[in-house]
Amino acid sequence: MASKNNSIADSYYLNDAFYDRLMALNESWKMEAPAISPITLEDKQACESLIFTEARLADDLRLEQWLDCYSDQCVYWIPSSYPVVDPRQEITLEFHDKRRLQDRVARIRTGVAYSMVPVIRTRHVLGNIEYRQGVDKEVRARASFIIDALFDGKHRILSGWIGYSLVSEQNEWKIAVKQINLIDADCLQENNTFFL
Amino acid sequence: MASDFDDLVQEGRVHRTVYTDEAIFSREQQKVFGETWVYLAHASEITEPNSFVARKMGLRSVIVTRDKEHKVHVLLNRCTHRGATVCREKKGDKTPFFTCPYHGWTFKNTGECAAIPHQDAYGEGFKKSSFNLKQIPYVSEYRGFILATLNPEKGKKGIKDHLRSAAGRIDEWIDHNGGDHKAIRISGAQQYTVHANWKCLYDNAGDGYHPEFSHQSLLQMTQQRYGAGMDLDYFAGGIDSTPMYSQDLGNGHTFLDQRPCMYEASAFDRQRPQPGREAIVEQLTKEVGEDKAREYFEMATGAGMNLNIFPNLLFIGNQLQVITPLSVGLSDMTWYSTSIDNVPAAVNTLRLRTQEDFTAFGEPDDTANFEACFKGMHEREIDWIDISRHLHTGVDKTDDNGIVTSVISSDIHMRAYYAEWKKLMQSNDESSLG
Repeated sequence: MASKNNSIADSYYLNDAFYDRLMALNESWKMEAPAISPITLEDKQACESLIFTEARLADDLRLEQWLDCYSDQCVYWIPSSYPVVDPRQEITLEFHDKRRLQDRVARIRTGVAYSMVPVIRTRHVLGNIEYRQGVDKEVRARASFIIDALFDGKHRILSGWIGYSLVSEQNEWKIAVKQINLIDADCLQENNTFFL
Repeated sequence: MASDFDDLVQEGRVHRTVYTDEAIFSREQQKVFGETWVYLAHASEITEPNSFVARKMGLRSVIVTRDKEHKVHVLLNRCTHRGATVCREKKGDKTPFFTCPYHGWTFKNTGECAAIPHQDAYGEGFKKSSFNLKQIPYVSEYRGFILATLNPEKGKKGIKDHLRSAAGRIDEWIDHNGGDHKAIRISGAQQYTVHANWKCLYDNAGDGYHPEFSHQSLLQMTQQRYGAGMDLDYFAGGIDSTPMYSQDLGNGHTFLDQRPCMYEASAFDRQRPQPGREAIVEQLTKEVGEDKAREYFEMATGAGMNLNIFPNLLFIGNQLQVITPLSVGLSDMTWYSTSIDNVPAAVNTLRLRTQEDFTAFGEPDDTANFEACFKGMHEREIDWIDISRHLHTGVDKTDDNGIVTSVISSDIHMRAYYAEWKKLMQSNDESSLG
């Protein structure tokens, strides 16, 4: 498949080593590492700002800016099982690299994505954020979330927790991994074609 | 009742109340989701003796068990004592017995009542065996697909008689997935609620007319980002002059074949790029050589077959979609993913990332339209749902086996399944639980 658009990234980075890292991260979300880890106040503030900004941009449907919150070597992952299974073994609800995230945004932007007509309005509420120092300059964070999603005049509540792996690239913090764990991941889902 | 159904399902149109009426829905639970063969589980989900999965057969809660002799049973998940749910887990193994949490009544995974605590209080003439778990009397498997029926006539004739030529199409689907049905396994599921009658979902299963319109977002995005010649773009334009076709296979089963376009050249080359595609292509090519790797890439791409086993099993790409009615206006649409046991691990990773594609880019827009249809069916002033496309154009051809082949945008799928639906709804067959 020859890519017709030069701005589209390829996906060599999502190899077995990356999947192994995802499963190691999944294990680390238990937050069993010491609670006081050497994360600087400066890093903590920057990471918190990124986490809140990413949620706000998704809610405000500023999706191009939202994409910029993510590293070019990122994974956005919503497991379909509880507890989580290796995504090489079982299907997920969503598993996107940067390219497929761009595809998802481009789909919504066509204006004929009928699952989003009328547009689904969302508000994320994030809390209980805990931070740990990761490998090298990586910061790991875990937050609880509630999303109120409004579609066609009806409210719906989604909840769960998110694991973030955040990395500093050229002095800018980016999301390398966002693992979204719905409390009802293994139950019937509704129209979740917005960004969680 | 029989003549009512002649009024409701006519040539080329169906009455809206077929979708919205509670009494019709209730009758469907017996006539459609009881008295014809209903898909329940895949053999790979209960490979070990004493394993089970909890499923629905229409509205009935059932436990599909494999006993220690490897025999499969479909037990009604309702304690014969007071009605409590006996098994409250979705799946399990090493479970030769189920104990009801309420009073401790215990049943073997064959359904046999094994123990009743303090049984002597029921008196001398009491027979434990009259309290066995009820079961669906006819259970059969076709190459890994487990189906069951309450209907003695259909049950005795067997599953192959019911599937008829659809069995050959299942074989072709298995061939696409490596050819060994015992190596194919369910690898998780994506489960969704659809706020519509179950038939709004089933209507779409053989609808070759909608992709150009319903899937505009997928087609436009793909064209913009990846250019022409990609996934599903053969549905845009004069589709009825393409070599794709749709078929009435008999007994309500239908088939829509995309392969003549999708597999005209490499289907993998048409596929929107999966996450990690380049990494896997590089790795597999290194592992097994270019020719074998190409074979695997095509196997990782959808089968190009939309095969619909009435009333609830749909083969879509490499997935199985199972439709379960929850109420007249609410349905469970579960997409079971499949993997293959005897291929390099990277092939299954690629298959999984491919199987996540359509549920992200296609199905949500379909679902929005199913729900919109169901809303419209409640408009009291307009009675009819049209299913007459290509009814009068003379394009259908019937072969010696009675298979009717039509063009790809025909409504033959709906006409075929509604003929079977009407026959079932009109039948006076007697059936009961074993």
